[in-house]
Amino acid sequence: MPFARPSVALGLYARAAITRPAQLHPSLVAYRLLSTSSPRLQAEPVHEHNHLSGPIKSPRTTATYTAANEPDKYINPYKDGPGALDKAANLFFFTEIVRAMWLVMEQFFRPPYTIMYPYEKGPLSPRFRGEHALRRYPSGEERCIACKLCEAICPAQAITIESEARLDGSRRTTKYDIDMTKCIYCGFCQEACPVDAIVETQNQEFSTETREELLYNKEKLLANGDRAEAEIAANLHADHVYR
Amino acid sequence: MVSLARLFRGIRQVGVKEWWHQMQYIGDVKAGTLVGKDQFGNRYFENLNAEQELPGRHRWIDFAQHDLNATQVPAEWHSWLSHIRKDPPTEDKLMQNLSPPWKAPWVENLTGTRGAYRSYNTVKPKIEAWEPKVSARGQSS
Ligand code: SF4
Ligand code: SF4
Repeated sequence: MPFARPSVALGLYARAAITRPAQLHPSLVAYRLLSTSSPRLQAEPVHEHNHLSGPIKSPRTTATYTAANEPDKYINPYKDGPGALDKAANLFFFTEIVRAMWLVMEQFFRPPYTIMYPYEKGPLSPRFRGEHALRRYPSGEERCIACKLCEAICPAQAITIESEARLDGSRRTTKYDIDMTKCIYCGFCQEACPVDAIVETQNQEFSTETREELLYNKEKLLANGDRAEAEIAANLHADHVYR
Repeated sequence: MVSLARLFRGIRQVGVKEWWHQMQYIGDVKAGTLVGKDQFGNRYFENLNAEQELPGRHRWIDFAQHDLNATQVPAEWHSWLSHIRKDPPTEDKLMQNLSPPWKAPWVENLTGTRGAYRSYNTVKPKIEAWEPKVSARGQSS
């Protein structure tokens, strides 16, 4: 397309430019050509009439008129050639068709833009909100402190938490369930979490054959976090300057 | 892809055997540099030449298994394949540093098999079925 569009437009433009002055007086041709002809035509020396010397003249249809010229009389400025509407129709409607057909032809010879999933994948953001995971500290201690902020903010009420004090006295969840069929993947839970425990990983391929498999419990969420921790941590690191 | 020139150029670059293998799976001949191999034997390729591969199709994987699915890609390579991270995990210092020692092995999505996840309750159930107590006959008290 980059070269096609100017060439099509030029073709019609040149035609309009050539037909118009042909009907004018020969002395005016050189005059008109200054602005409308291509530089190639300008290169020809004009002998009869040097437009740079002598009185400055306007083209006939835009001249200054005196009373003798019947100034009130209506003069159609387009009477010497195709009208503005004709030219516009030619230029816009006809070239539109030609350009559209050219576009179709170009696409015909182009390779199709099909991403061959699962061999190739479209780009994902490090903020992509997919399957949930519960993270651990680098020491292996689980992060979640059972503050229940995620449960409180969840607009779909997909999270259910129960907590108890552990033997060493720290408060931990005994039940952390997410109903993935309720979840709308809004990401509020990971925004609400004060310790970055619940996160949404970039995994979107967790489809299941039964509905039951989507009722995640704490073990499943921790397992998700354990196997993908490197990716989760790298993505959080990539985004930490914007948080 | 329809271009004959691309087809012949690809066959010349990858060889007939690899071309036949690719036609069985990805269905297109793609030539690129081998970026790495993961623990399952999946091979990852890249070709950044926009003349040969359309941008967006420039990273691809050749699965080790015949019965392939997208979750056979481990998380580190997943983030390279999905264009989340610029460098492959073999060169990505940041991701290597953030990789903890307790990292669990990757398992693919096992739904539909016996290994599929089945949900269970992690606490004592709140509702218990009624268990009638029957006292022995003749001992009324
Ligand atoms: S992503 Fe939104 S809907 Fe899903 S569990 Fe988190 S807060 Fe609830
Ligand atoms: S996941 Fe975060 S927000 Fe939710 S209970 Fe645990 S610490 Fe609180």
